[in-house]
Amino acid sequence: MNFLHMTENNFSLKKIEISVSEAEKRTGRNAMNMQETYTAYLIETRSVEHSDGQSVLTDSLWRRYSEFELLRNYLLVYYPHIVVPPLPEKRAEFVWHKLSADNMDPDFVERRRIGLENFLLRVASHPILCRDKIFYLFLTQEGNWKETVNETGFQLKADSRLKALNATFRVKNPDKRFIELKHYSDELQSVISHLLRVRARVADRLYGVYKVHGNYGRVFSEWSAIEKEMGDGLQSAGHHMDVYAASIDDILEDEEHYADQLKEYLFYAEALRAVCRKHELTQYDLETAAQDLAAKKQQCEELATGTVRTFSLKGMTTKLFGQETPEQREARIKMLEEQIKEGEQQLKSKNLEGREFVKNAWADIERFKEQKNHDLKEALISYAVMQISMCKKVGFGFSEGMSIFRSAGKFL
Amino acid sequence: MSGGPPKALPSTGPQSLRDMPHPLAGSSSEEAVGGDSTPSPDLLTARSFGDKDLILPNGGTPAGTASPASSSSLLNRLQLDDDMDGETRDLFVTVDDPKKHVCTMETYITYRITTKSTRVEFDLPEYSVRRRYQDFDWLRNKLEESQPTHLIPPLPEKFVVKGVVDRFSEEFVETRRKALDKFLKRITDHPVLSFNEHFNVFLTAKDLNAHKKQGMALLTRVGESVKHVAGGYKLRNRPLEFAAIGEYLDTFALKLGTIDRIAQRIIKEEIEYLVELREYGPVYSTWSALEAELAEPLEGVSACIGNCSTALEELTDDMTEDFLPVLREYILYSDSMKSVLKKRDQVQAEYEAKLEAVALRKEERPKVPADVEKCQDRMECFNADLKADMERWQNNKRQDFRQLLMGMADKNIQYYEKCLLAWESIIPLLQEKQEAK
Repeated sequence: MNFLHMTENNFSLKKIEISVSEAEKRTGRNAMNMQETYTAYLIETRSVEHSDGQSVLTDSLWRRYSEFELLRNYLLVYYPHIVVPPLPEKRAEFVWHKLSADNMDPDFVERRRIGLENFLLRVASHPILCRDKIFYLFLTQEGNWKETVNETGFQLKADSRLKALNATFRVKNPDKRFIELKHYSDELQSVISHLLRVRARVADRLYGVYKVHGNYGRVFSEWSAIEKEMGDGLQSAGHHMDVYAASIDDILEDEEHYADQLKEYLFYAEALRAVCRKHELTQYDLETAAQDLAAKKQQCEELATGTVRTFSLKGMTTKLFGQETPEQREARIKMLEEQIKEGEQQLKSKNLEGREFVKNAWADIERFKEQKNHDLKEALISYAVMQISMCKKVGFGFSEGMSIFRSAGKFL
Repeated sequence: MSGGPPKALPSTGPQSLRDMPHPLAGSSSEEAVGGDSTPSPDLLTARSFGDKDLILPNGGTPAGTASPASSSSLLNRLQLDDDMDGETRDLFVTVDDPKKHVCTMETYITYRITTKSTRVEFDLPEYSVRRRYQDFDWLRNKLEESQPTHLIPPLPEKFVVKGVVDRFSEEFVETRRKALDKFLKRITDHPVLSFNEHFNVFLTAKDLNAHKKQGMALLTRVGESVKHVAGGYKLRNRPLEFAAIGEYLDTFALKLGTIDRIAQRIIKEEIEYLVELREYGPVYSTWSALEAELAEPLEGVSACIGNCSTALEELTDDMTEDFLPVLREYILYSDSMKSVLKKRDQVQAEYEAKLEAVALRKEERPKVPADVEKCQDRMECFNADLKADMERWQNNKRQDFRQLLMGMADKNIQYYEKCLLAWESIIPLLQEKQEAK
């Protein structure tokens, strides 16, 4: 049960629950009018009455993965200072041999369903994101939602990759904390990737160990047939081996859940980096504007005093083709002064913008850090608990399997 | 070493040593005496296991001083073997202390063989000699020659593929030592084989090679005669009980072979799993270095996985050292038993052929010639020896496999317990609330 506050058109606060309860295979025609198969997910929203805690289904609609992607891309553009929760992976990665990499595989679909639900819950529990209109419509307006999102024109507002890359290389004075954060997110991404890769190999090997034990089952059974006193003991041992070998499937399924929790934070690292990039962009923008302003001021000064310290085309052509008239000079000075005034205004607002961005972004980053520490600790605890329960079960199984031998006494 | 052939002790069925003529009583009589067992009081004392200090009777021969250390270790050996419950033990043999010898021609390992016995066949109560594998091989061959109607325990494999297995590694030497110790103990437990001269020589001679050269050919009556049985007789029907044994051994060896293959495969998979685990744990450590509040928990998980890895390594080592060798030994045992069965078939076939030949000859009526009677004797003795040994073997097999399978389960349980402990111990660490920074 997840409670959150949501604002509707009329700004009334309500407590709601969100769940992605079902997944369904669909066929349809895509943009190029070709047949395609995809999975649709049922999103159910329930409002909870304060008084009796009963929940009433208020909305239910079907969405596919690409619509979730659209929502997220929108959020990224409109909330660049927020660490936007990530979506579950588009394609299955870090698989071990028994795990399917097929997007249509029911286990993959199931894990994706859980991941999408988790995404919606993260957004809904974010103090700022939960108030977004488009998000609200995503949950409530089945038809036309895509058009509504596109109408916001967010794609145009998005920063181009090239622009962002340029800023990263050329920015001179980014906030140190963001540099460190970017470095951290790079390292985090690297280490979690490594961890997931090795974990998948570990799972693979463990699977092999358990399954080979299963071969004992049959041979012990066959052996028991030729033994008199030892027969029962061998049968019991053989049966236990079969049970042991079969138990690995559930064990590894549980572990996949742990892997999914790690994956979420792997993708969160990218979201962190996005915020850092935005900071670099705004900072670079600011620096460029300051540079331009300084250049204009200099130009103005030179024109006024008559000294030419800086190279300018106008200055060169003037030298080559003759001096300009004092009137012309006056006009130019005036224009520059106008531009300088404008520029100063812009710089002021950009500065403000920049500081606001840093303040807001850092607040969300702190919030994110707390969330991360809490979630990962919980994930590690549940992983440990999983291991403990597995050890107990398997150890007990071995004990049970051999109990006949133990109790049979000296000569069985 | 007392001369003369061993007393013709009844070898049919597992008989308690008490029923046999006391080796130290009436040393003048060398004939088979049944039932006369009134040992002197002080000898009786020596046989009660309750005594802390075992008195080794000297019966006229100078005895070495029985130190307290040796008595208590003797007691240990007594307690280990519960197969001879209620039976008296007067011979104890141990294989230990492997040593490497480097010579110009070759390098090899010798083992110390310690023997303690009150038997009259031994001049001294205690012996300590050094033997190498080929000496054991010699002994086994001699036993097979001289006691062909009995099941001789197997030796660990003679040849090892050089380069694949390190013949001088601690693990290999220890595995071999255990197998050789078992080999001698099985002979020691056998009421007939333990009195064999070659065994005695093996345990006592200072220079075994000299004895080998002399070619001691002290064969029992039965042994000698069986040795000269020519092959080539076709057996018509194996008696039911021996046919059953043969079939049992075939299936048994087959199943053991399968189990051996599976066990090897499991060990291989476990080792590969271990390799991955050893990479997995440290990644948590790397991560821990990036974090602040999560640093300790992550480091804890890393250490935990490290502990599990170590526990797994111990498990695979145990499986390799304790489980596989016993399987192999019983496969070898089955093989040698099958060849003894075949020899028995030969003896029966010879007897039947000779009998048939007599039946065809019209002149010699109902009187059965002496040599046919001798054949019948041989066959019946062989059958009796073999039956007795089979029963003994079945008992030992049950004991050994019960111990083996329970041991395997126990080792696995211990592994899971170690892992359990490791994970349980980090739960409090993970749940710890970090102080506000």
